[in-house]
This record gives sequence, C-alpha cells and structure tokens, in this order.
Amino acid sequence: MARYILGRIASVSLVLLGVSVLTFFIAHVIPADPVLAALGEHARDDQIEAFRRAYGLDRPVPVQFVVYLGRLARGDLGVSIRTRRPVAEDLREFLPATVELGTAAWLVALLLGIPAGILSAVYRDRPFDHLARLGALAGASLPVFWLGLVLLGVFYYRLQWFPGPGRLDVALSPPLLRTGLLLVDALLARDGAVLRNAAAHLILPALTLGLFSTAVIARMTRSAMLDVLYQDYVRTARAKGLPRRRVIVLHALKNAMIPTLTIIGISFGSLLSGAVLTETIFAWPGLGRYATASAVSLDFPAVMGVTLVIALLYTAANLLVDLLYARIDPRVRYG
Amino acid sequence: MRTRLPVFLLLISLLAAPAAGPTLAAPARDTLVYVADISDMISLDPAVAYEFSGILVAQNVYDTLVAFEGEDLTTLKPRLAQSWKITDAGGSWKVTFTLRQGVKFSTGRPLTARAVAFSIDRVIGLNKSPAFLFKDVAGLKEGDTKALNDRTVEVTLPKTASPQAFLSVMTFTVGAIVDPEEVAAHAAGGDRGEAWLRNHSAGTGPYALERWDTESRVILAANPNYWGTKPKLSRVVIQHVPESSTQKFMVESGDADIAANLTPEQARELGGKANVKVQKGRLLQLVYVGMNAKHPPLDRVQVREAIRWSIDYDGIIRSLLRGEARKVQTIVPEGLFGFNATAPFQQNTSRAKTLLAEAGLPDGFATELLVPTGPAPGGVKWSDIAAKLQSDLAKSGIKVTIKETTQAQLLNIYRAQKGQLVMILWGPDFPDPDGNATPFSDYTAKSIAWRNQYEDAAAARLAKQAALEPDPAKRKALYQQLTDRILHQGPYVVLYQPTTRFALGKSVQGFVWNPMAFAEFKTVSK
Repeated sequence: MARYILGRIASVSLVLLGVSVLTFFIAHVIPADPVLAALGEHARDDQIEAFRRAYGLDRPVPVQFVVYLGRLARGDLGVSIRTRRPVAEDLREFLPATVELGTAAWLVALLLGIPAGILSAVYRDRPFDHLARLGALAGASLPVFWLGLVLLGVFYYRLQWFPGPGRLDVALSPPLLRTGLLLVDALLARDGAVLRNAAAHLILPALTLGLFSTAVIARMTRSAMLDVLYQDYVRTARAKGLPRRRVIVLHALKNAMIPTLTIIGISFGSLLSGAVLTETIFAWPGLGRYATASAVSLDFPAVMGVTLVIALLYTAANLLVDLLYARIDPRVRYG
Repeated sequence: MRTRLPVFLLLISLLAAPAAGPTLAAPARDTLVYVADISDMISLDPAVAYEFSGILVAQNVYDTLVAFEGEDLTTLKPRLAQSWKITDAGGSWKVTFTLRQGVKFSTGRPLTARAVAFSIDRVIGLNKSPAFLFKDVAGLKEGDTKALNDRTVEVTLPKTASPQAFLSVMTFTVGAIVDPEEVAAHAAGGDRGEAWLRNHSAGTGPYALERWDTESRVILAANPNYWGTKPKLSRVVIQHVPESSTQKFMVESGDADIAANLTPEQARELGGKANVKVQKGRLLQLVYVGMNAKHPPLDRVQVREAIRWSIDYDGIIRSLLRGEARKVQTIVPEGLFGFNATAPFQQNTSRAKTLLAEAGLPDGFATELLVPTGPAPGGVKWSDIAAKLQSDLAKSGIKVTIKETTQAQLLNIYRAQKGQLVMILWGPDFPDPDGNATPFSDYTAKSIAWRNQYEDAAAARLAKQAALEPDPAKRKALYQQLTDRILHQGPYVVLYQPTTRFALGKSVQGFVWNPMAFAEFKTVSK
C-alpha cells in the first residue's frame, strides 16, 4: 500500500510538471502583453521596460521557463504581475475561502444527491422518482449565474431568511485568521456569533455551487442502484426474508457506491476549481475569482500557481477515491 | 418505507439550521457601507496606488497640500497648505507653500515641512506608476523640494514644466503627505516603507485605515487627530461586491448605503423605489475612436471628417446609453479648465458622401474597427457601440469590419501604431487640460497622437504653450484654439463623455463624487 501511494505521488509530480509546462507555454503564445495589462494605457515606455526587467519578462521564453522551474523546485511560485505580491501569499489568502465554499457545496451534493438517488431507484417510476429526476435535470441545466441571483433575490432580498453576499456581515469582525477557514477560525476563537453568521453566509452560495453536482450524483446513484437492485444476490437476500431496508443499505448501496465514488471524487475537484461565477455573485473572496482576474490580466505566474494548486487537489482527490475503492470493494487491492 | 421522506426532509432542514440565527441587522448608524468592485486594489500607499479603488481609499486617509473640492476642478482650494505662491526665478519656477498650523498625523506626530519634502521625494525615488506625474509632468527630481523652515516648503520646477499643471498634480493622491517617522520605522530593505504602507496608513486625512482584507473589504475609522471638521460617520466599510445586481440587492435591502457600479438599466429600475435614490456622478473620461492618420485612406482629412459626419451621436447617447453621457466632441472633457463645448457633428450622410467624393472615394471604402471586450464607460458593451458605428458608417458607404479583443491585446496593437480605427477611452492623469491636450496633440509625447500617427507640429506647439501659460485668460484662449483645430484636423471621433451612477439609501446625505473618480466620505451622513 505504501509503495502504491509513493508511486502515485511520483506520478503526481510528473502530472504537475506536465501541467506547468503546458500552462507556461500557453500563457506565452497568447498574442498580448501582460505588462500592458498590468500598467494600463497611460504607462510610459520606460516604465514598461523597467517592469519587464523587474519580472524577468525581457528574457527569452525558454530562459524564463528554466528560471521558473528553478524557483518552483524551491517552492517559490513567483510574484503576481497583477497584485504585485508573491503568488504563494495570494493563494494562502484566497484558497481557504474556496475550500470552505467547495466543501460546503460538496456536502450539499452528498447529503442531497445520494439519498435522492437511492430513493429514486427504490421508488422507480413512482412520483418521487419523477420529481427527483426532474429536479436533477433542472439542477444540471440551470445556469449557475441565474440560479445564484434568484436564490439571493428570493431568500436574501425578499424573504430575508439568509444574509447577503460576502463571508460575514459588515457588523461583525472576523476572528484572528489562523487557517483562513472562517468556520474553523471562529470555532478556535470560540466566537459563536461569527460562527453562526459565517455558516449562514455559506448556505446560499453552497446551494448554488452544489446543485449541479447534486444532480450528477443523484443520477449516478440512481442508475448504479438500479443496476444492483435487480441482480441475483439482492433478489436472494430479499428471498431469504431480510428486511428491505437492510437489503438496500447493506447489500445494494455498498456495491452501488463504487461508480458513485468516482463521481464524488471528481466533483470535489471541480467544485474547488469551478466556483468562479458563484464567487462573483456572492462576493466570495476565493480562488475562482482570483484565477479569472489573473487570466484576464494575463498574469501567468498567478495562473500557473492556481493551475498547480488545482491540479494538486484534483490528483489528491483521485488518489483518495482510489484508496477508498479498496476499503469498499475487497477485490480491489493495491501494492 | 413511509419513514424515508421525512428523513430526507430532516437532512435538508439540518443543512439550513444555521439560518435560524444569522444576524440580519442593518449596519450601525455611524457606519457607512459602500459596495463596489474593488478588485483593482493593489496598494493603498499613495506613492504606489494608481487604480480607482486604491485612490478612493488614499484620498480619504491622506491629505494633499491643495485640493479641488466636490465637483469643481477649476478652483484650487487650500488644504494642508494655507497659502501658496508661484514666482518666476529666472531659470526656474519656485512654488512656495505655507503649511496650516496645528495639523497632526493619525499617529499623533505634527505635520512639518520636512514631511512634505520627504513625501514628494519618496514618490520620485520609489518610481512606481504615479511617479511620472512628478518626474515627467512637473520635471521634478529628488531634492527639488526643500523645507525652508517648519512651515514653509519650496518646490523648484524647471521652466519646461507648467506650475498650474504641477498644482493640479498636487491635488491628486500622489501629492499625499505621509508621516516620515512612522514610515521610517516600518521601512525594510530600502523599500521606503512601501511594503508596510501597502496595507497601513500614516496620513493626516479624516480617516485612518483600520484593515484591508484583500478582495473582501477595507475598513476606515475616523482619525481622532484630524485637524478639520470631524467626519460625520465614524466608520466606513468599502465592501468588495463585484456583481452589480448583488450591489443593487444590498442597497435595496439596507445592507449597503451606497452602491457604485450600477448599469443604466438597474439605475432606472431603482428610480421608483421608496427607500433608494439614484445619484449621477460626472467622469472625466472620453470615449473616442482613433483614426490612424498614416493609414490610407484615413490619411486624408476629408475622409476623417466624413467619418465624423456619419455618426449618430445622439442616437448612441439616447438609445444605447439611455442618456447616461454627455455629447462632447473636443479633446478636453467638461469639468476641466479649457473645456470647449463646440459639438458641430451630427449624422449627415449626404455631407459625408460629398466629402468622400472630394477625397476621391465616391464609392466609399472598407476599414477595420478594433474594440475592447466587456463594458464601456456608461454601462453599455463596447461591441454594441461598435455595431451602431458600423451601421452608421455603412450608410455613408464605409464598410467596417469589427474586431473585438481584450483591452491588453488592443493596446498592444494600438501602441504599435498598427490600428486603423480603434475605439477606446481616455481619462486625464491629473485634473488639468494638459492631461488631455498633450497626449492628444503632441506626437513626441508618444501617447495618443503617436498611436494614431498624428504629427501636427502646430498642435503640439499650441499644447505646450497653453500648458506653460500662467495667465488663465490667455491659457483659456490657447486651449480654445487647440481644441478647435483638433476637432477638424485631428484623427479623433470623440463619441461621448460618460456619467456614472450611484444608488444611495434614502437617508444618505452629503455624498459628492469628484470627477477624478473618488469621493470624500467625511461629508457623508445618514
């Protein structure tokens, strides 16, 4: 097992190297100048030249890449052209907000998607199934931007059930940031008001972001459950007189979880990287918006930093899923 | 199985449980909540900040020696300097400022003439984005600003610089005075305190910076040592809300007092609401089309004039911008000294066709229009204005191909003199007509005239002469002459001067938008 994990980590390093080569060269074939994007229309030629020199952009692209790799090997992601701060510092600031939102959205997807999928399969072609499938279709096809605005308009603006955009009410001051995860920091600081408020702020964006994954997970669970429910061993279990609940949960669900698990793992990665629109609507200071703003300003050190972090999270999620397979399915063995 | 559905519902309600106790209280009475897109904020150091949101903060935590107050950018008012005078010292100009007495920094230390010299030299030495205002516009070097005694500062300007333009520059954040001792205490590695001042403040302004959470919010707290009338509200929260619909929700529900980035549509929707009012603000930007004066057939004056006579300016303002702009056709915007209100052009297709025939192009010609992606000032998309120009010009026989590209890429092409027609905006770097006159008319300044290959020695001479003229009446006449000349000879179609819109809670009073794109929160109450 340990050897398997080490092997996977080695292959992850290769993936990351590939990702960085690809991103670096894509960033450099774009026919636009990041310095002009950063300094704007009014910049004088001497300022542009000085900026180019300061960021090493006056050197040939292959040299820039070697310098970049050298720095990367030392854990230095470079300095953002847009924010003029070390990329690592930016990531430290924006990643926790996205992790918090992505995790909440993922929990929404799990807590709603899996039960809905199971019930849908069990009550196949009954009213609940139709309703759940309709919901899944809507969840998979509603544009996030529209959904976010509607949720805000109804639950924040009209009904006032939930607080507005941002991670915290204006009236509250965030606790001392240790992890950057507001819920965790509030817990550490034993600040109940901030904890409640931050959790409330999380709900609408988590629903907005999580709905698509909910739909996908529900559909996947449903079809996997249907495959399993009609297999002989389930029929045998039922014939032996086991209670239906026990058959569904212990016999069918465990086997149906294997394909679903893959989707759950992938959806965690995509929730972390795909939060741009949700973050924009809900004024959420996360990685998605940082990535977009960086891409628009051709800020390639930042874009590369984000890409590496996302690639790392994706591969980590995949590794975790693979390891979980072995827990669920005794036929799967590593090492 | 009847029990399953309730379990499902229970899960949903668990998820929503925290909503039972969120604080939905409106912001406190003494706190102003200003929501805007502040994603451009890089630094709050006045020697570094040159982005809209950074300037908004710096203008409220720092003071300048002189200022333009409210919407008026023509009358210079005393601020940290109680008086100033310009003297001709033969080979140079001397500008002498006498400082106000009893002024303290938010740190408690007194304002001195040495602090003024330190702050100006610091800008020049750091040489960041706004430094050219001192180095190039005013021709200053480190050491040109001297403290004659505790309350008197003397700045020596070269004769090639305009003292008026220098005073205008001094109203801007680049002229902010910082506490030298506080800055020195936090300087690291010869950075003159740049890293520390990025997210701290050491000024004499009505507010001091309490905290800045990147991409989230900036909190300002009233400066207890402020020398002037105390600000009416003790805290200002500038909250980052990038999406304008969300801003609108927040101001309507009372969670925000002022929303800064509404589209014309949203402003109209809010027009009839009982708890919100909409206020307009003037901007000094001009949206224009540059015509490459060396690219045939745009090199012929008649062709450029034909293009100007082809466009339905009123239609753009009325239908596309819903009236959120002013028709301006000269190169100095309304609000600046030297504004020339002449606007002779309107759509006249037959006149345009006659001009084209005179230029030897009776059947018209084809050309390319480069436009940025995204929204133009005034809230309408650049591509929508481009489509309107395309259809207007087609009526005169000019076939336009629209090329839409990111602003960075557009600038690449434009700065390399490779555009044909390029639609973009310009705002002056400092509130003086020279901030527009020189870029638009002097080829050697390597700015707009250069990008459009417009070499007009007479125009450049006029711009220089006007910039250096100390007598206001003569200066005004020179700008009139220059703007009239460029109106017909120049390679520009000035389309409009946009306005901006704010949504304010009904109780908000005293909010004034300075056309240099900031507001002073000290006068705001609610």
